[in-house]
Amino acid sequence: MIEFRNVSKQYTPDATALRDVSFTVAKGELVFLAGPSGAGKSTLLKMIAAVERPSAGQVIVNGQDIARIKPAAVPFLRRNLGLIFQQQRLLTDRSILANVMLPLLVTGASRAQAEQRARAALDKVGLLERADAQPLALSGGEQQRVSIARAIVNRPQVILADEPTANLDRASANKVLDALKAFHSVGVTCLISSHDEQMLDAAARVIHLKQGQLEVAA
Amino acid sequence: MTLWFRQHRYALAAALVHLRRSPGGFLFNILVVAIALALPFTGVTLLDNVRPMSEQLSVDPEISIFLKQDTPREQAEALAVPLRQTVRDKQAKIVFTPREKALEQLKDKSGLADVLTTLGENPLPDSYVLKLDAFRNAQAGGDVDQLAAQIRALPGVDTVQVDSAWVKRLAALLNVLRLALLLLAATLGTVVVAVIFNTIRLQVMTQREEILVSKLIGATDSFIHRPFYYTGALLGLCAGGVALGAVSLALRPLNVAIADFARLYASEFQLAPLPPLAMAGLLALSAGLGLIGALLSVQRHLSRLN
Repeated sequence: MIEFRNVSKQYTPDATALRDVSFTVAKGELVFLAGPSGAGKSTLLKMIAAVERPSAGQVIVNGQDIARIKPAAVPFLRRNLGLIFQQQRLLTDRSILANVMLPLLVTGASRAQAEQRARAALDKVGLLERADAQPLALSGGEQQRVSIARAIVNRPQVILADEPTANLDRASANKVLDALKAFHSVGVTCLISSHDEQMLDAAARVIHLKQGQLEVAA
Repeated sequence: MTLWFRQHRYALAAALVHLRRSPGGFLFNILVVAIALALPFTGVTLLDNVRPMSEQLSVDPEISIFLKQDTPREQAEALAVPLRQTVRDKQAKIVFTPREKALEQLKDKSGLADVLTTLGENPLPDSYVLKLDAFRNAQAGGDVDQLAAQIRALPGVDTVQVDSAWVKRLAALLNVLRLALLLLAATLGTVVVAVIFNTIRLQVMTQREEILVSKLIGATDSFIHRPFYYTGALLGLCAGGVALGAVSLALRPLNVAIADFARLYASEFQLAPLPPLAMAGLLALSAGLGLIGALLSVQRHLSRLN
């Protein structure tokens, strides 16, 4: 499903984010990316979403080589990915329902269909009753759950979460993690970057990065 | 096709939502663009009103032919034959006016009967008036000049006066005005495109986060660009409507002044608003300018977000 073959990423001659990284994530796997800040976790996730392209090596996602993918094909690749960011990146000028509807509307779904599926997604993360609230009226944990709803509303094959629990208290972090595990349990491939020790201890597979290099691929 | 309509409806709705969020800015932009459009629209309205008048005036140009004072009456009357030969295939009405009749007409029309009586003898020559029917517009003025030259060469002819000369001047003036209007329209059209270019630039900056998030969740470039195109076109369309409305309103006080002036020439000339089809054309042109401004702005500013 996701394969890194000797991937390096160099932003400038002095700034190398990844060095010769190779690993594979099979379909339906739940994999954690661990490592200190600056280890290259975010760069790695950005490459899978075709936000960044490798300087060397190959990144294969759903059979597509990210280095060679045409710009016009990138949106269609991303529709099969659910992206969750550390800073939720919810649009504050509209309700959380409208935020969750957006991935469906960009694919051309009707408004009625988008609303129905967005409500179902919000229900799955326990926020249906707050559908009409504005993002800023929600706590950090709730906002992150909204961003999970937005990531899964398109029924993606892969969820990429970049430090989804970084700014949350333990209770909120557990809720977010439980939500992600719930989607993994129905066959969604999840790749989650984190430096939350408690979260990593319970993980079946952790990929450790340090200064852009693979440390341990469990 | 349903998907196509749905995406366009979404883009239009998104454009309207963003415009509604900052109504003050939108109205101000409409005002600026409308002012720029109002000038060429006024020019178009004036030309549209003057054009039929000039066309009507140019119909049936007349050539007045004054014979030499000492030309005997028989020779004067006989000149009708070579005149008719000169005119040949052109439809023309030849009217002979004897000098006595011309004097009578002058006395009747000028109110100078007493003065003319003191002259003793008739100072006016025999004359012909050629009313040409084949020259339907001022562009054919060159043909009239050629004809006048031929007539001037006929024996017994003293002076030939082409009464359509001023029509030619009017046509030339209208051509200059038309060209000036075209230049003005091009300049102000560029201003409109620049204003809308900047408006869309500001909107791209305001919606930066929305654009970036949309890209990350799989929005295509056309999905992101379309609302901006609608914004530009709507802005142009609304400004065009305001400009046309302003021009129509301005015609009322202008017509009061024109009516006073035209009355001096026994005319009832009034400026009329443009016909609906021409108005629709100008509105489409305004929307088109808005669209061009948006296209240029989106191409320049959204490509930087990639």
